[in-house]
Amino acid sequence: MKNRLLAPLLIITLTALTVGCSKEFSGTGKPVKPDEYNLALDFKPSVDSLRLKLDSVYTNIWGENYSVSAFKFYISKIDLINTDSNKIYSINAENYFLVDAADSTTWTVKLKSAPFRYNKVAFIVGVDSLRNVSGAQTGDLDPAKGMFWTWNSGYIMAKLEGKSSSSTAANNKFEYHIGGFSGPDNVLRKTVLLFPFGEYSEVLPGSSSVITIKANVNAWFYNPHDLKIEDKPVVTTPGPEAKAVSENYSKMFTVTEISN
Amino acid sequence: MKKTGVTITGLVVLIALCVNINSCRKSDARKGPSSLTFNIPAGFPAPAYDFTSNPLTQEGFNLGKKLFYDGRLSKDGNFPCGSCHQQFAAFATFDHDLSHGFNDQFTTRNAPGLYNLAWHKAMHWDGGINHIENQPLAPITAPNEMAEDITNVISKLKADEEYKRMFVAAFGDDEINSQRMLKSLTQFMLMLVSADSKYDRVKKGTATFTAAEQSGYVIFQSKCASCHKEPLFTDLSYRNNGLVISNFLQDFGRMRITNKKEDSLKFKVPSLRNIELTFPYMHDGRFYTIDQVLNHYATGVQNSATLDPLLQNRIALSTTERLNMRAFLKTLTDSSFVKDSRFAE
Ligand code: HEC
Ligand code: HEC
Repeated sequence: MKNRLLAPLLIITLTALTVGCSKEFSGTGKPVKPDEYNLALDFKPSVDSLRLKLDSVYTNIWGENYSVSAFKFYISKIDLINTDSNKIYSINAENYFLVDAADSTTWTVKLKSAPFRYNKVAFIVGVDSLRNVSGAQTGDLDPAKGMFWTWNSGYIMAKLEGKSSSSTAANNKFEYHIGGFSGPDNVLRKTVLLFPFGEYSEVLPGSSSVITIKANVNAWFYNPHDLKIEDKPVVTTPGPEAKAVSENYSKMFTVTEISN
Repeated sequence: MKKTGVTITGLVVLIALCVNINSCRKSDARKGPSSLTFNIPAGFPAPAYDFTSNPLTQEGFNLGKKLFYDGRLSKDGNFPCGSCHQQFAAFATFDHDLSHGFNDQFTTRNAPGLYNLAWHKAMHWDGGINHIENQPLAPITAPNEMAEDITNVISKLKADEEYKRMFVAAFGDDEINSQRMLKSLTQFMLMLVSADSKYDRVKKGTATFTAAEQSGYVIFQSKCASCHKEPLFTDLSYRNNGLVISNFLQDFGRMRITNKKEDSLKFKVPSLRNIELTFPYMHDGRFYTIDQVLNHYATGVQNSATLDPLLQNRIALSTTERLNMRAFLKTLTDSSFVKDSRFAE
């Protein structure tokens, strides 16, 4: 009698124990930083042949003295190219890197590429239009990084800020916040860099290759457009001026060294 | 003997149930958030928002609501979103042309009501913000509004145990970052759907317009609805309705965003739902009454290169037509929305 009652009750009990909590949450998956890489782009913030030191004084092509308090830019859509065979390897398009002169941990962009010999690298300076219109982003695209315009949505693709006695703006500041991802004033520029003559980046299984790239602040001020701090100390909205500055800075990069 | 057997097994069941409830409570976080349904009101078009990128959940909504009413998102703690967006005013700032922000400063525009935002392709009077998720960044960082810095806000949230718990509940783990804050604020704002006014009930056939409301509706349809398009009461386009530019504010509207001359003085057509509650009116809150608005359309429209063609001849209304129009506009008040406890602080 007792047992006949107990059995069904125990079943009920067991069911009661198992039902409520059966749904397990699958988690949201944090962005995983690749610690497994075989290729690195090592950006060196520079002024001509010197390593950039924030707040030191330099001179641009127009003889204007200036110091830099912020120098940052986005890199995305990286392609590795072998010009002998015309092979192109595109790094996952969903990768965006913010290189910030003030934080040396951001200078090395770590990538995973297909094993091959490469002699050319290409990338976009900036963040492609899709990421500018897709709502809240995270990682290097986090708006807390100070590279997002809040009142006129869009990423600042590259930023150069500092002081110059030539500046007519308040406190002798100069400020170039360059962005604009659509229309004729789009500032997204593709940079293609050939390696030093005869050098290859050898990406082999089990070994890694480092491509050192100089990012020269002085290149912002000329070629193809003359940019004198005195004439234009502030460019902080999308438009033809921003576009002109982007055409200058897209030429600021040079591959100086390959180490395999 | 039989009796005690039953009682004991009964007790076991009870204990098991209790343990079960408790273990559920403890593992709430792992159980995962429960999804919320977004109901598209009958007759409404498809929302502009892509819900797949931010699935609505009860926990995400709760977190968003807490953030919306939390002063800590502002520098001095005094300016939560809810200080300028008040529920009883359909989430506009009640009775203010411009709203108060940090350090005795004013906003440079009138705070619009917040409802049916899931249908808006872009935010603000000039449409400068291309995605609702990024909208909160603007008031949080504007020196004359909440005057805070995103990194500071995130560290304030991280220091709070209650937030830690709520982020886990909404997102499955305790990572607190700007993306999650923005997505949950967005969930709260998306849920602010206003579609239960008398007008809506008339459309559903559960109420009838008075004669005055009905003739007001007819005039509205012929003179206003091409811009204030049903059922949202806006076509969400940018237009110049002939307001004289304010010398003080010098606000050229959409042109600031697009840099195009042809966008000069154009502003997003505002919805007229809850219009009785969201006064004062226009992007700078220059009109306090519907009468002043109707006067503007009848006699005040200013000609300029970008004036909307529909207003070239202004909109003349007789005294009776005005009375009826006002009666109709009042049927757009959604009193259940402004009293909905789900949205209350
Ligand atoms: C100091 C007052 C103030 C505070 C605080 C404030 N807002 Fe606003 N809000 C405004 C004003 C003014 C506008 C109009 C801005 C414009 O069009 O340029 C606005 C516009 C908006 C819009 C756009 C609505 C539309 O129809 O385009 C949304 C959404 C919004 N606010 C949400 C928020 C959220 C979320 C917060 C908190 C993070 C917040 N607001 C904090 C005053 C405020
Ligand atoms: C050509 C398009 C157009 C027509 C037609 C039009 N409006 Fe408007 N309306 C607008 C625009 C644009 C605004 C916002 C203007 C601004 O703030 O700069 C507006 C604003 C308003 C506002 C203020 C809403 C708020 O929340 O601030 C009211 C009320 C209004 N209109 C009522 C009417 C009525 C009633 C009619 C018909 C008699 C009408 N409108 C016809 C385009 C139009």
